[in-house]
Amino acid sequence: MGRRNRAAGLPVMLRPVPKGRPTDASALADVRAALGVAPRRRDLLIEHLHAVQDAVGYLTSDHLNALAEEMGLTPAEVYEVATFYHHFDIVRDGDAPPPPLTVRVCDSIACEMAGAADLLAALRDGLGAGVRVVPAPCIGRCAGAPAALVGARAVDRASVEAVRGLVESGAVDAEVPSYAGFRPYRDFGGYDVLRACVEGERPYEDVHAVIQASGLRGLGGAGFPSARKWTFVRAEPAPRYVALNADEGEPGTFKDRYCMEADPHRVLEGLLIAAWAVEAESVWIYLRDEYPACREILTRELDALRADPPCALPEIHLRRGAGAYICGEETSLIESLEGKRGEPRLRPPYPAQVGLFGRPTLVHNVETVYWIPEILRRGADWFASEGRRGRSGMRYFSVSGRVKEPGVYLAPAGVSARELIDEYAGGMADGHDFYAFLPGGASGGILPASLGDEPLDFDVLAEHGSFIGSAAIVILSDADTAAAAAVNLLRFFRHESCGKCTPCRVGTAKATGLMAERPRKWDTGLLDELAETMADASICGLGQAAANPIRSVLRFFPEEVER
Amino acid sequence: MSEVRFTLDGVEVAADDGETILMAARRAGVRIPHLCYADGMRPDGNCRACVVEIDGERVLAPSCCREPADGMVVRADSDRARRAQRMVLELLLCDAPAEAYRRDSELGLWARELEVDGARFPPRQQPLPDYSHPAIAVRLDACIQCTRCVRACREVQGNDVIGYAGRSAEARIVFDAELPMGESTCVACGECVQACPTGALMPAGLEVEDTPPVAAASQGKWYGPHRSELRPGTDGARDAAP
Repeated sequence: MGRRNRAAGLPVMLRPVPKGRPTDASALADVRAALGVAPRRRDLLIEHLHAVQDAVGYLTSDHLNALAEEMGLTPAEVYEVATFYHHFDIVRDGDAPPPPLTVRVCDSIACEMAGAADLLAALRDGLGAGVRVVPAPCIGRCAGAPAALVGARAVDRASVEAVRGLVESGAVDAEVPSYAGFRPYRDFGGYDVLRACVEGERPYEDVHAVIQASGLRGLGGAGFPSARKWTFVRAEPAPRYVALNADEGEPGTFKDRYCMEADPHRVLEGLLIAAWAVEAESVWIYLRDEYPACREILTRELDALRADPPCALPEIHLRRGAGAYICGEETSLIESLEGKRGEPRLRPPYPAQVGLFGRPTLVHNVETVYWIPEILRRGADWFASEGRRGRSGMRYFSVSGRVKEPGVYLAPAGVSARELIDEYAGGMADGHDFYAFLPGGASGGILPASLGDEPLDFDVLAEHGSFIGSAAIVILSDADTAAAAAVNLLRFFRHESCGKCTPCRVGTAKATGLMAERPRKWDTGLLDELAETMADASICGLGQAAANPIRSVLRFFPEEVER
Repeated sequence: MSEVRFTLDGVEVAADDGETILMAARRAGVRIPHLCYADGMRPDGNCRACVVEIDGERVLAPSCCREPADGMVVRADSDRARRAQRMVLELLLCDAPAEAYRRDSELGLWARELEVDGARFPPRQQPLPDYSHPAIAVRLDACIQCTRCVRACREVQGNDVIGYAGRSAEARIVFDAELPMGESTCVACGECVQACPTGALMPAGLEVEDTPPVAAASQGKWYGPHRSELRPGTDGARDAAP
């Protein structure tokens, strides 16, 4: 109220003690120094929270208050956003600030199977007071399970020794892998397709027809035909926007990271072609905070691209998530880009009609745009002629769990789980027999090995109550149970639910409670009822899919939970 | 104004352009439970108690936010829709205090009507009460996270003292940066108390809100159940609280 009264020219203090928290001068100085000359726009709130936390190390109540004052927001607005995102460390009055270094140990499905719980316990005992060790949802390194982030430094096959070594040597910055930079990409014909599009050599109708004929679909998981998305967005009035969904967070999925770390300019070229296709004025890249190496790469390479543009470019904004799986849901992503809590919007209207800042918005996944330049170079047939068992196309499969060589594999649509294990991933790990698999990360359900010869692709798994989603294939063996996997996945959903709608917010909490209460004898009737409402009545895909693991266990593995 | 004709529970219903299914249903005398919706406030569609089944759609739709289309076939009373409505009420009820703070709690009202109790799920860990404010008692153990108070404070009054903080099952109503309400910038306008459907926010000093809702509804602003939704026998809600 103090601020508002001042603005209105009214006396600031109408009572001996002003209501609310007074602004702390030194916190305000910190905030101003951290923000520099950056605009104080509302949509930059999350960026500014990062800036203050990067400078100070954490966010005190005074800093949040000062940031509100500086941005012309109310304390409630800043606080509700800051507390939504797990990567913001809020230190309330009387609480001790966190130690300067944080080690995040991934405890999602593949890492849990590889011993994350033991690692977490050992690190908590073994690293001393200057380091905070916390569990973290999937950090997209499932091929290197168990994985951890030491500061911004990613560690695969993490051990206490390896983590301690990094902590002691202070090597806690992001380790940028080698990748194709701007010059080599350009030298090998990169951005030629974009240039041809922008300069009128390739008319929109032809480009659209090629993408349509290729059958390219949304590879983030929803599988919506990409060309049709373009048609919808283009039919809406300008200005239009494009958002790139680089918030890969589905447990078991790490193919978008692979695309960005291996060939970032192919991602950017595909994104810019899509922006040209819908005549977008501006482009936003929403990158998850768990991928600091990708952030470094994209920052560098966007600079290189802007310094030597192959043609006219739209405005490109790189935005940083803050630890929220839900922001991979496209309407939550849009809310987050606007600087708000990442809560999904109700549909209709769809983002193609009312998206970012109320404008028609095209949202594409990283891998989807990664394919666009190559399809336009080589033709629709090159892409569409791949496929097994009558399916068409190809995509990257993230394969993890009990296989000899987990990793990202390019495979034809319709490949089976058994083929992925044997032809691509070097077979099952020694001493392990194929028992079950997750075809689509945490969301897609759990299928028994007896369905290991089914084609993996969009649509075809629906009859098994399952879907391929982001093609995150996690292989379970006779050392695992589907029930334990389901508990892990439900815990993940409980942690990541945004809290907006009842079926998801309360449903995930009650489901985890019921499952943990009697791990070998679930209340199957009640869980089944709950699962139906979560699937039917939740606002977004997170809540709708969150009960899939439960339903899979009840359908395919009832003997595990009815002992 | 153009008119839309659709089928609701087997009966053809007319809706005005821009009217939601819930509003059309109310005029037609079809009762659909709802909690986060209140007259005079932007519908948010978060509680999901009002979900209905629409022919041809994969999942249920919140009737408070969805406008009918010509020829749409909607069922509020199908087994599937009712199962979801009941489950939503049950999930909220199992986390509510054993005895409601208001006899006319909207949650209790709908739960009684749909014959739901909250006994099958273990309750959540409850937050402590906050009696720091001279005029408003805050007992968030009765909170159903519907955010009506947030919209009342932010969008109706423009005070923006109340926020919805945290995430998942820890998502909660806060005042400023989670201050006790009495230390926050609250101006005690009372809009949030009017908006709260369960008595989580109530006039301080009242152990049980005793105002019969029909009487209250006739006096100025009232966010509670619409008159048409209060049935004889449930309106005074004098029977035992859930």
